[in-house]
Amino acid sequence: MKLLPFLDRLAATPAATGNAAPRRALLQQAGRAALAALPLALGTTQPVAARTQTTAYDAITQLLQLERLQMTYYSRALTTSGLIPAAQVADFQRLYDQQLQHVALLQNTLQTAGALVPAVPAFDFSGRKNVATNPVLFPNVLSNYDDFLALAQQLEDFSVRLYTTYAFINPDDAQFAKVLLRMLAVEGEHSAHVRGLRRDRGVAVKTWPSSSDAPIVRPAAAQALAAAATAGEDNLTQLASAGVPIVFSDFLNVFKFTSVPDASLAEAFDEPVVDVDTTKKRTPQVIAQAALDLFS
Amino acid sequence: MSEHSFSSAWRAQPLGRRNFLRVSAASAATVALVATTGCSTETPEPVEADPHQIALPSADKGLFYYGYLLALALSTTYDKILASPPTDLTTAERTVIANMRDHQLVYRELYHYYIDPTIGGALFPTDFAFNTATFTLTTRLGVLAAVQQLADLAAAAYPVLLPLFTSASAYPRALLLKTVSVQARHAATIRDLRTPGSFADSTAVEPSTGLLRTKTPAEVNAALAPYFAPYVISVANLAVPV
Repeated sequence: MKLLPFLDRLAATPAATGNAAPRRALLQQAGRAALAALPLALGTTQPVAARTQTTAYDAITQLLQLERLQMTYYSRALTTSGLIPAAQVADFQRLYDQQLQHVALLQNTLQTAGALVPAVPAFDFSGRKNVATNPVLFPNVLSNYDDFLALAQQLEDFSVRLYTTYAFINPDDAQFAKVLLRMLAVEGEHSAHVRGLRRDRGVAVKTWPSSSDAPIVRPAAAQALAAAATAGEDNLTQLASAGVPIVFSDFLNVFKFTSVPDASLAEAFDEPVVDVDTTKKRTPQVIAQAALDLFS
Repeated sequence: MSEHSFSSAWRAQPLGRRNFLRVSAASAATVALVATTGCSTETPEPVEADPHQIALPSADKGLFYYGYLLALALSTTYDKILASPPTDLTTAERTVIANMRDHQLVYRELYHYYIDPTIGGALFPTDFAFNTATFTLTTRLGVLAAVQQLADLAAAAYPVLLPLFTSASAYPRALLLKTVSVQARHAATIRDLRTPGSFADSTAVEPSTGLLRTKTPAEVNAALAPYFAPYVISVANLAVPV
C-alpha cells in the first residue's frame, strides 16, 4: 500500500467539509512536531476562513481517536469475565483485532508524515469522564451484555459515518481514499454484525440503520453520541447538484415497476456525520468531537 | 417492517426504448453504448459481425454503466428469489433479501438516472439480461450462497470504483459514497445468515491489514461474465484503478 501520495498532501489545502470548526487546540498540539514544516501549519498567514476548515490532519486524528475508543471498548469487554457469551468471544476478538489494525494504520500515517500523534485518552465508558461524582451516561455497558451491544452498535455506526465523512478529505488522492473506503467497508461489516447480534436477542433493529430501528434510549447529556451515530439517517433528500434535489419519484415509481418504500430509500444510503440542526452551523468535525468527548 | 405489496421490482425488458443502442461504426467487433436523448422507438441495428460485444464507454459514464450492471445483477437475482422463495427460507430472511433488493433497485435506477437524466428507456438490448439459471435458488442454502457471492462482489467493487470518478462527478460520487458501507452491511448480513460469525472474516478482509479485500472492474466483470452470456461486456475503456 502506497501512502506517500497521501502523505505529501496530508497538509495541503484543506478540503471544505464545513466552515466553522475551531482548530486552535489541534494546531497547538501540532505546533511542536515536524508537522510545522508542512504546509499543514496553517498558522497566521492564512485568512481566518481557511483556518476554520477541517484538514486531513484533523480527519486522520479524529478517526484515530474513534478507532482507539472502539479498540479499547472491545479490549475491556473481552477481559471482563462473563460479559460476552462464549459463542461470541471469537466475533469480538475479530472486531478488536481489526480495530487494532486500523489504529496502527492511522497512527503510522501520521508518524510517517512527521505529524504529531495525539495522546491516547483515558477512556471512561460510563460517561463520567473519569470523575466519580459525574452522572453515569452509559450504565452497565461493561457488565450487561445487551447494554454492551447497544453502545457497540452506536460506536460502529459512528465510525461508518466518520469514515464516510472523511473518505475524500484529500480529493486528489485516490490511493488514500481507497484505503479509507476499505476501512469504511470493514466498519460497515462490523456494524451489521453487532446489529445482527442485537436482533438475535430480540431487539427490533435491522443490520443497516432504518427508521424502524428501536431507538437506543440515553439521557439528554449523552445525546451527542446519537447525533454523531444515527441522526439524520432517515434523510430522503439527496442532491443532484448544489441545491438541486434528485427527484427519486421520477424513476422509482409504480409505472416503471420500480417503486420502493420511503424506508428502503433512506436505508439505501448511510449518511455521513451531519448536523440535523442546520441553524447551529456546526461542522461534522465538531459534531463528532462532541461524541468522542463523552468518553474521556 | 412493512410488507412489500408493491409491484415486482424488475423486469427483464424494461419499458420504453427512447434511448437505444447505436452500433459503433468505428469498431469492428464492439457495440458502443450511447445513451441519447432522442425520441426514436427503433430497436438497435445489429449491423456488426458480433452484436453481443458491448464495450462500456470511457470516463465517468462508463463507471455509471459499470455500477448499473452490478446493481442489475444483484436486483435481478434477489427479485428472482423473492418471486418463488424456497420453502425453507425463513420469513425474516425473505425480509432481509427484500430490503436488499429494494436498495439495489434504488442504486440501479440511480445509475440509470446518472447515465441519462431523462430515464428515457432501456440502456441495453431488449434480450440483455442477468441470467440466474446456474444459481441454485430452490433451497435456502443455495439462495444464501448465491446472495453472498453477489453481495461480497459488490462490497469488494465499491472501494475501487469510487476513487475513479473525476471531479466533474463530485455530487454523484458523494451520493454513491453513502452506499459503500451499505454494500458491506449486505455482505456481512448474508454471511452471518449463511455461516454465523463469518462477517469480515479472512475471505472478506485481509488478515494482514484489516482492510476489505477489493476487486477491480475487470475482476468484477469477469465474475459476472457467465451470467450475461451471450453478451460480452468490456470494461477496457474504464479508468485504470489505483
